[in-house]
Amino acid sequence: MASVSLRKLEKSYGSLRIVKGIDLTIEDGEFVVFVGPSGCGKSTTLRMVAGLESISGGEVLIGDRVVNKLAPRERDIAMVFQDYALYPHKTVRENMGFSLKVRGVAVKDAESRIGEAAEMLGIAHLLDRKPGQLSGGQRQRVAMGRAIVRRPQVFLFDEPLSNLDAKLRGQVRTEIKRLHQQIGTTIIYVTHDQVEAMTLADRIVILRGGDIEQVGTPDEVYNQPQSVFVGGFVGSPAMNFAKVTVDGDALRFANGDRLPLSGLNRGRDGAMEGRELIVGIRPEHFVTLADPAMTLSARVQVVEPLGSDTLVHFQIGGETLTARMPPEMRPAVGSEMRLGLDPSKVHLFDAKTERTIA
Amino acid sequence: MLDLSDRALAVLLLAPAAILLSLIIVYPVLRLLYTSFFSLSLTSGLPAEFVGLENYQLMIEDPVFWETTWNTVLITLITVPGALFVGLGLALLANLPFGMQWPVRLSLLIPWALPLSFAGLIFAWFFHSEYGVVNDVLARFGFPGVIWFNSPNLAFAAICLTIVWKTSSFMALIILAGLQTIPRSLYEAADVDGAGRIRQFFEITLPLLKPAIVVALIFRTITALQTFDIPFMMTGGGPGTSTATLAMYIHQNTVSFLDLGYGSALAVVMFALSMCVTAVYLRIIRTKE
Ligand SMILES: Nc1ncnc2c1ncn2[C@@H]1O[C@H](COP(=O)(O)OP(=O)(O)OP(=O)(O)O)[C@@H](O)[C@H]1O
Ligand SMILES: [Mg+2]
Repeated sequence: MASVSLRKLEKSYGSLRIVKGIDLTIEDGEFVVFVGPSGCGKSTTLRMVAGLESISGGEVLIGDRVVNKLAPRERDIAMVFQDYALYPHKTVRENMGFSLKVRGVAVKDAESRIGEAAEMLGIAHLLDRKPGQLSGGQRQRVAMGRAIVRRPQVFLFDEPLSNLDAKLRGQVRTEIKRLHQQIGTTIIYVTHDQVEAMTLADRIVILRGGDIEQVGTPDEVYNQPQSVFVGGFVGSPAMNFAKVTVDGDALRFANGDRLPLSGLNRGRDGAMEGRELIVGIRPEHFVTLADPAMTLSARVQVVEPLGSDTLVHFQIGGETLTARMPPEMRPAVGSEMRLGLDPSKVHLFDAKTERTIA
Repeated sequence: MLDLSDRALAVLLLAPAAILLSLIIVYPVLRLLYTSFFSLSLTSGLPAEFVGLENYQLMIEDPVFWETTWNTVLITLITVPGALFVGLGLALLANLPFGMQWPVRLSLLIPWALPLSFAGLIFAWFFHSEYGVVNDVLARFGFPGVIWFNSPNLAFAAICLTIVWKTSSFMALIILAGLQTIPRSLYEAADVDGAGRIRQFFEITLPLLKPAIVVALIFRTITALQTFDIPFMMTGGGPGTSTATLAMYIHQNTVSFLDLGYGSALAVVMFALSMCVTAVYLRIIRTKE
């Protein structure tokens, strides 16, 4: 096991900068998830750590060794690919044992390691099959098994669940987490699914356009998003945003509603008169019993009962907001109601920089 | 009830293809077989006469038949593996991830696009004892010139070389197509697993190329058994009949001597040979599955 450090890591294709100087230290045994929209450079970053992509600038360290110039096989990492990349002509056993065979591990030792990993993943009965005779979920497990038998310093996962259906995805996700708890190896995991990121990660790295937008524990990125982007990216349904203007001691909404600044826990810091702000509030942070001062007038547009709760889409001014309400709430479509806010859960961002205000 | 109509439908749907196939393949083959049982020589002026297996009897006693058959088999045994190795090498070269792939791919296409007889002509000039580049190069390195087409062995070697040159690009194209179906991530996985380039070639590339290679081999072997144009243009079968192939002998009997009965019998043998080879390859594919 080892830590991984990225120092000013860069990747360019010609004049096109894809990864723009990433600084990050991943602790030994940590489970770090890179998350971000498609094309933000997650895979590229991961592949630079793996040695599958050349490094244009900066350094990658595994342990205290700079690995920039080392081939993938010299880096002591294992990778699970999005398409699994199982060798189609080899059996599951041969797939899992290939790296051991190449490294000259004794056959008996290799057998026991394969058996152990197969047992752990529940694929022991599939060892003599070829990948073509397996289901998607089984293939995914074989790909993980192939990584596990190596006992590498670091595991790299590139969207390992994206080819599975939703139910299986949840199941395998839990297994990956259990696996990490069991073997404790450092993991770097790439996904564009924020739910995966939240559930798996010790720390989440949110990438945007080749830069780190925010790094933090799932709680931190959920509760203290540093930007509109992070706020909108983490959580489902997504955080609501509304443009407001600081007007005296209150925030004025487009529909004229006013929210007293004194009601917000954060007070007035940074909320200078006339400043344009963006208010961020998560659907789950609307409340039905609220201080009447902390409410907004809203018109009900769509009601979506989910069983566990009800999603209500409101119109406030020109903007549509979504609120997660108790399951028994069934407001009539078109009706006007007062929507309460949990004052401690209101986020304020600068309208121009879209970063949280100090 | 449903089964019966399903079957009727199947027959109906297959009928056009089956009829076409029998018209253009089955009929000529049967006709060939039929003719081979007749003594039918257009130069003799005699009417066709049913002679049973007499043509085949003649064949067994005909030393030229045996020599040309042996030459054909030898050409097949030399040029098919030759073209496979050269073609594999070319395909691997053409598949390298360099920016300038088109010169390699173009040079692959040119020999393939060239008519066989044209290739024969070009190489006949290459190996020409006085004006050919081969002797010129030999001379530059201080070797005496060689009169290639006077010696049976050298003439045979020159023909085989020409055939390998002409046909390896076909092999390369099929193998290249096969190479491009192998996902890059397999090599990346092997990189991470610790396998070097050579190991990757034998553990991944070669096994996954097997189907493409077998297909290329079937085509190449069958055309090798029918070798005609290149020796025809380069040596005309000489010296003597030392470089003549079975196809050339069939051509001589039917076109030059107008002995259709004997020519048909020879053609039947060649057809049978091709069928045997195909059957062997198909068996190989099937046991692979
Ligand atoms: N060989 C290349 N040449 C030029 N640009 C490339 C090349 N490979 C990738 N890119 C670009 O680099 C950017 C980052 O790609 P990358 O694969 O890292 O994205 P990603 O974050 O993994 O996205 P996804 O979630 O879709 O997998 C993309 O905009 C892509 O178009
Ligand atoms: Mg990706």
